Amino acid sequence: MNKSFIPMLTVALVVVVLSFPLMVFLNAQSAQRLLDRGAELPCGSALSCAFNLRSPVIPAPNQLLEDFPKAFFPLTDPNSIPFHGFFTALATVLGLLLAGVVGLGLAVLLTVSRAFERAVLPWLVASQTVPVIAIAPMLAVVLGSNGVQGLLPKVLISAYIAFFPIAVGVAKGLKSPDLLQVDLMRTYNASSVQMFAKLRFPASVPFLFTAFKIAMTAALIGAIVSESSTITDAGLGRLLSENSRASDSRSLWLVMFGSAALGIALVALVGVVERLVTPWRRVR
Amino acid sequence: MATRALKPSFLETNLIVLAVVCVLGSAFFSLKLIADRFALTEAWQSSDLIWLYAWLLLGLLGVALASSAVVRFLARPKAKDNADWLQRQLVALLPAGLLAVVVLIAVEGLVRGYAVPLAQIPPPSLVVQRLWEARDVLWRDTSTTLLETIVGFVAGGSLGVLMAIATQRYPFLERGLMPYATLFSSVPIVALAPVVIRAMGVDWQSKAVIVAITVFFPMLLNTARGLTEVNPLQVDLMRSYAADSRRTFQSLRLPNAMPFIFTGLKTGAVLGLISAIVAEFFGANGSGLGFRIVVEIGTVSLDAVWAAIVVASFLGITVYNLLALLERRVTGWHSSFRAED
Repeated sequence: MNKSFIPMLTVALVVVVLSFPLMVFLNAQSAQRLLDRGAELPCGSALSCAFNLRSPVIPAPNQLLEDFPKAFFPLTDPNSIPFHGFFTALATVLGLLLAGVVGLGLAVLLTVSRAFERAVLPWLVASQTVPVIAIAPMLAVVLGSNGVQGLLPKVLISAYIAFFPIAVGVAKGLKSPDLLQVDLMRTYNASSVQMFAKLRFPASVPFLFTAFKIAMTAALIGAIVSESSTITDAGLGRLLSENSRASDSRSLWLVMFGSAALGIALVALVGVVERLVTPWRRVR
Repeated sequence: MATRALKPSFLETNLIVLAVVCVLGSAFFSLKLIADRFALTEAWQSSDLIWLYAWLLLGLLGVALASSAVVRFLARPKAKDNADWLQRQLVALLPAGLLAVVVLIAVEGLVRGYAVPLAQIPPPSLVVQRLWEARDVLWRDTSTTLLETIVGFVAGGSLGVLMAIATQRYPFLERGLMPYATLFSSVPIVALAPVVIRAMGVDWQSKAVIVAITVFFPMLLNTARGLTEVNPLQVDLMRSYAADSRRTFQSLRLPNAMPFIFTGLKTGAVLGLISAIVAEFFGANGSGLGFRIVVEIGTVSLDAVWAAIVVASFLGITVYNLLALLERRVTGWHSSFRAED
């Protein structure tokens, strides 16, 4: 980590330095258009306006820094990004847990019955190449019209999106023990319950967490999309669609950074749980 | 010996025939029932519903029979010829196909039988009808979404590969860039979309940029892994041949990376399509599958929404399988394919 700190900082600096002229150029253009139309701007030239536009094409760093404390603090303020992020995170995590339970159940069925696997698994695999998220906005509206409102529809949609990668991943994990291990269990006269408890479940844990990491991002996208397509009290998706409609790019950028941080934090959370649950895998 | 293994046993043949008869019978009588009670707005009488359930149960029984027969069939030893391979592939897909038939008929029958409002679940037949009626619009939407996806995919993908080659050359870049690539995989694309659309406008270019960004990172990660995870023995061999780094790259690192690159391509294509559709939720210039979905939800014509979803799914499956086919062609020598056959 320490070894890569300076290179990471360098890359970040290079990106900022490279995007700076682009920002100035695009904003100056838009400012020039405003000036040509005779709009009253508090700044003199297009170039100086590039840093203080009300609705810039790309916000200037000074604007983002200026807005940051207002948008993020205090944490409990109902208009702050962390406050909305908390509700999105809640829906995502609950959805992931629900998807985990259902996905685990289905994966067990898939492992127990080869016939069931034959009929169902091809569709599960195909679901991995299909944009499942396309259903989310419709699901949000249909659930809403049936009186399912508030947190629940978000949880359901997150769960629905997260379900597919989890089911596929866990099914793969439950099948991961090789024939020799299964045979050994059989020579011990292990019942099928013991086979699951002592061999298949432990073997599936690494697969489970890999699937959870993928599913967490998917569930977060599901939660945000469902928030932006229905009327909800709070959530990052609501902030995104509101600011998008009002073309408030300064807030949009901050919400984007907030969502990115939330996604990274949630996946890191799965990593932490993984390390707590599987201490034997820590040494590598 | 091999020819004997090809033929299904007496029991298996009969089971499969019985299963197909069950499913076809269920399909025929359910569809007849649906056709007789054609009205969409009025619920059926309970006697009709009981018949529907009976036929659907028969269909499910057929799927179960077919599945177990197929499992038995596939458990027999393989013959090493193409006819056997093809037969296996077809038989293996039989249960899933039959299940789809039964589920579609079940949805059709239940939606009509209980007179579920069109604004909740449209019956599949109506979706198919809408697919046909709106084919011009859907075609335009598809080409827009495809354009965005392909342009973004090519740009982001090639940039990812180039960047991976650079990181392999310069360890400083690798340590500086790779942590970001890993982090980015957990960033929700939805948050990116409104920002890019605000900056670049609602035309297709903004979506292509979003697709490029989402494709770039998996390509970078996978290619870099393929270039660096080379067998040290092989690197030593190249060195003893006095091969320079360019030659090592051409003859060892790049071939080694091919399977990884294809994994990246497949993941990237699916992710790219998803992000194009999600980005269109937030702004599009009159066409695009994601745009169509949002617009039709606005007018509560859910059959059109489902039609767009069907097209999007078809697109995803096609793109993925085309890449998988290409992968077989290009990296057919790789052990992951040889082991399978």
